[in-house]
Parts: sequence; C-alpha cells; structure tokens
Amino acid sequence: MDTSNTASSPAARKPYGMLALFDSAPGIYEAARTVREAGYSRWDALTPFPVHGLDGAMGLGRSKVPVFVFIGGVIGFFVGMWLAWWMGYYNYPLIVGGKPYFSPIFPFPVAYELTILLAAFGALGGMFVCNRLPMHNHPVFNYEKFRHLTDDMFAVVIEAEDPLYDAEGTRTFLEELGPVEVTALYDDEEDDA
Amino acid sequence: MTTSSDVITPGREAAASSGGRDPSLPLLIAGIVLMVISIGLLFTGSAADPARPFLGYLVAVTFWASILIGMLFLVMVWWLFDAGWSVIIRRQLEHFLAAFPVIGVVMVPLVALGVAGSDAVAWTWMNLDAEVAGAGVTVAEDVLYLHKAPYLNTTFFVLRFILIIGVWVGLAHLLRQWSFRMDETGDHKYVHWSRRLSALGMFVLAMVTTMASVDWFMSLNFHWFSTMFGVWFFSASMRAALSATVLVLFWQASRDDGTGLKGIVKPAHFYLIGCIMLAFTVFWAYISFSQYFLIYNANIPEETFWYNIREKNPDGALNSWWWVSMVLMFLHFFVPFIYLLFYKCKFGARLKFIAVWILAIHLLDIYFNVLPQKLPSDANILGYEVRQFIPGLTDVTVFLGVGALVLWAFVRSTRRHRPIPVRDPRIHESLTCHE
Repeated sequence: MDTSNTASSPAARKPYGMLALFDSAPGIYEAARTVREAGYSRWDALTPFPVHGLDGAMGLGRSKVPVFVFIGGVIGFFVGMWLAWWMGYYNYPLIVGGKPYFSPIFPFPVAYELTILLAAFGALGGMFVCNRLPMHNHPVFNYEKFRHLTDDMFAVVIEAEDPLYDAEGTRTFLEELGPVEVTALYDDEEDDA
Repeated sequence: MTTSSDVITPGREAAASSGGRDPSLPLLIAGIVLMVISIGLLFTGSAADPARPFLGYLVAVTFWASILIGMLFLVMVWWLFDAGWSVIIRRQLEHFLAAFPVIGVVMVPLVALGVAGSDAVAWTWMNLDAEVAGAGVTVAEDVLYLHKAPYLNTTFFVLRFILIIGVWVGLAHLLRQWSFRMDETGDHKYVHWSRRLSALGMFVLAMVTTMASVDWFMSLNFHWFSTMFGVWFFSASMRAALSATVLVLFWQASRDDGTGLKGIVKPAHFYLIGCIMLAFTVFWAYISFSQYFLIYNANIPEETFWYNIREKNPDGALNSWWWVSMVLMFLHFFVPFIYLLFYKCKFGARLKFIAVWILAIHLLDIYFNVLPQKLPSDANILGYEVRQFIPGLTDVTVFLGVGALVLWAFVRSTRRHRPIPVRDPRIHESLTCHE
C-alpha cells in the first residue's frame, strides 16, 4: 500500500485475531466452552501445560494422525511382500534353503519391519500435515506477554478469518468471559512481505 | 504418598445385609456334580483313542487356569508399576484369584491317573511299555525319550506339579490377604509388601507357568521341543484374562446392590483395558508366528512334525487342524487386531463383543496346541493317525464344571470382601480415571 514506516498504525496492519488472557485453568476451560457454544470455528486455546478435558470443552474431535499411520502400515506390508516376490520369484529366481521362490511366510519379517517403518513415517508425516507444520512464525508470537503462555497464563485466540469475527463484537464477547485482558493481534510478517 | 480414607462405604456389611440365600452355593453343587461325572467319563475313550476324554478334560481345565494365570500376572504387573488407574479393577481380579486352589484340585485326577499308569492318560511317556506312534518302539526303547528321562519321569513330574500349584496358590493367597487387610487397617505397609512380593514373584510365576506348559502340554508330543512354548501360553493367558476382566467389569458395573460397581467403573477403565488387549493381540501373534517361523526355516524333522500333524494326515491330505489354524490366524489375530485399532471399539458393547470373541477362539487355540497327537495305527505305512478336531462330551462337562467352581470361588469372595480397595493409597486415581 505504502512504503513509509507505518507498521505502528493499526489501520495499515493485517488483523490476525483477538486474544483473551486468563490466569487460571478453570477460567480457560469455561472460556473455551463459551467460545465453542457461541459458534466460532477458527479459534484456539493456548496453555502452558495440558489441561485435562480442554479438548472436550473446545469440541475437538479425535486426531486424524491414525489414518496416516494405518495407510503407511498397509503400504509397508505390501511393499515388503512385493519386494520379496519381485526379487526371489520374478526378477532373479533362486532356490535358497530348499524353500519356494515365494511364500508369504519367509518374507514376513521383512514385510513386518517395513509395516512398522512406514507406519512410523505415517505418524511423523501425519503429525506435520495435521499441525500444518512447518510453520516458522506465528502471529501469536508478536504478543508481548507470549512468554507467560509458556509459564503461568492461558489464552483464547479467535482468528479474524472466522465467519463470526467482528473486531468490536468479538472484543466485547471475550471481555464478558472475565479475562485479565483482551488484545488485538496483527499479522506483521505478511505485511513486511 | 497421599493418605486415603473411606471413599465409599458399601462393603461386607452392605453385602451381608442385602439378605437372601448365598448365590454361590448352587454353583458349588453344580461344579462338584459335573466334575464327578467328568472323572467317570475319563474312562470312556475308544479302543483306538483311549486318551481322548483325558485331553478334553485337560483342555477345559486349561481354559479356566489360563484366565487365572493371566489375572495373577496382571495384578503383579500393576503392583510393580504402582499403577493408579487399575486399583478398582485389581480388586475384581483378586476375587478371581481365590479360584487357584480349584485348579489344583481338579488337576489331581489327571496326575493320579498318570501315576497309576492308565491307558486313558495322554501323557504317553508316563507308560514306558506304550508304543511310540510311528516309531515302532516302546517308550522305554525310544532314544529321544531316554535323553529326556531325567526330566520327564513321573516322580519329578509330581514334584513339579506340587511346586506349580503351590506357587500359584501361594502368590494368589498372599496378594489377596494383604490387600483385604489393608481394607481393615488402612496400613500402607501392605502396599510395600505386595510390591516386593511381585518383584520376586514375577520371575517365579514366569518359571512355574513355563514349567506347567512344558509338563502338561508340550510333553504330550515328547519328541518335540520349542523354547517359545511357555511364552505362547503366557501371551494366550493374558488375552484370556483381559477379555474375562472386561466381561466381569461390565457385569459389576451393571449392578448397584452393594457388591456391584455401578457408577464407579468409568469408560476410561474400559478404554485402557482395550488398549492392553490390542497390545497382547499383537504379542500373541508375534509369539505364535515366531515359533512357526523358526521351525519352518530350520526345517528339522524333529520339530516340523508338530506342525505337520496340525496340517496334514499321513496321506498328505489337509486335515481338520488346517482349518483350525486358518481360524487362529485370521479370526484370532487379524480381525481382533484391526477391530481394536479403532478408538470407538474400546468402549461399551463393542468391547464386550470382542472380549467374548477372543475368549471363544482362545478355547480353540488351546485345542490346537493340546489335542493333536500321533495315534498308533496299522492303516498306513507311517504307522500313525492324527487325532482330529472333534469336540467330546468330557470337554463340555469339565468346561462347565470347572467354570462353575471358579465362579463359585469368585462370587464367594465378592460377598466376603469389599468391592473396591477403599483404603488403597491410589484409590482416588482410579475413581477419577481419565484417558
């Protein structure tokens, strides 16, 4: 828009969302439930440690990572079997130890190990995909009290991309939850780019 | 360590005041009647296969014994790891451990018959004059037997039998009594005693359980040997015990009559047991396959015959055991494995379903590992026939009889002791169990 140094002007910065800071685990738990019931969909809770039941209060479903693990495992099993069949039966048939060229029994350890290996790759890759990693920066890092979120404070962030988001309305809504403070966050990185 | 208090009150008083007849008595009577009939049936084997009722008896006793052995392992593992979530489940297993003397008693007729030297005994090595099927010699002339005779002789067998039953009953008795005494006194020294006993007892239990599987099952084909056999029996026992635990928990959780646990057992308890069921499904498959794989790869006739008779008759045709082995592979491993991978299958009716499924096929697994033997025969040049998979009457009477006696011991214990260990230091962790 313009090349002058206007990063300090809120009007010129891309809004990321609204953050409400809480100082207790019950506070964040109740807040999460209220935000979910209000119908927001693009939001998250930030806590320094796992709060039991918070995923339920947020209405989060089960992780999708097991699907990646399962697909990885199935591919690994069949690749292992195919490897033994292709080498021992098709490409270079050779009798070893009086055994048939191919049988599902003797290559089983190979298939089994590849099942585990590719299932583990599936778990790692699936975790990256589900968490949208790698992500080298996040607008929440710009929050000046961010270090408290790794120590003794909790926060709810509602993203500006949420269909229900409205700068004034969301701020009022969050202030009614009894937070320590409510702050607007800006996505400075995109602005710099 | 936290101190605990009486978190709930129902116990012996509530159970006693609920009145009515003792529900365990009909089980005791039914069990004794069925076992007397079963002992009579031991002598009804055919001329070609006089030991078939004996093996039916052994299979049925083993089914119930394996559940109890797995439960004893679980209780000791939970003590060793100082587990909190499992405390209320541990008490249900402690009630079951009261049934170990029953296993000792019902095994006595088989051992006595072996000492007396009857044709009806399936431990063929006990009768030195018996013909070794397919070998053309008697047991006393059999070179493989003679090498094993220092271990496989009747006197040593009886001594080992007493040791095995003594260790099972002794460990079960001590762990039960210390846990019940903690209910009364609230003294946490019993936690430390139980943990120390479990640390030592884990080794002793593993050794005598391996000994039992070698003596009672592997010696049925005394030419054969496998170092994995004891582990197979352990892994199968764990699966049976976990499935039985699930069913007992459901039954307890459905009642609130003073001995029931309605509202106390949480979905998370079932989920966690379901996770261990999945782990032991894989473990059982790993051990069972490894044993087959090593014997297949080495390809030594001394070992392979054990699997050969479980696949083919002397004429080379597939026999009934081939079908049983396919059922074990696909329905005892593959189906429960895929099923238990799903989160929702570890709760409620779905978990109950797979527990019944695993227990039913566990019985088939015992049949597969115990029943097949070479029987002397003149019908072919190899000189043997394979005993096929055909259920017998003794199998049913002993299954019901020992089952009734085991449940009698369980119900009797639930009426005499508290339904959960109210003064266990970790009882709160178990009552508030979450994933």
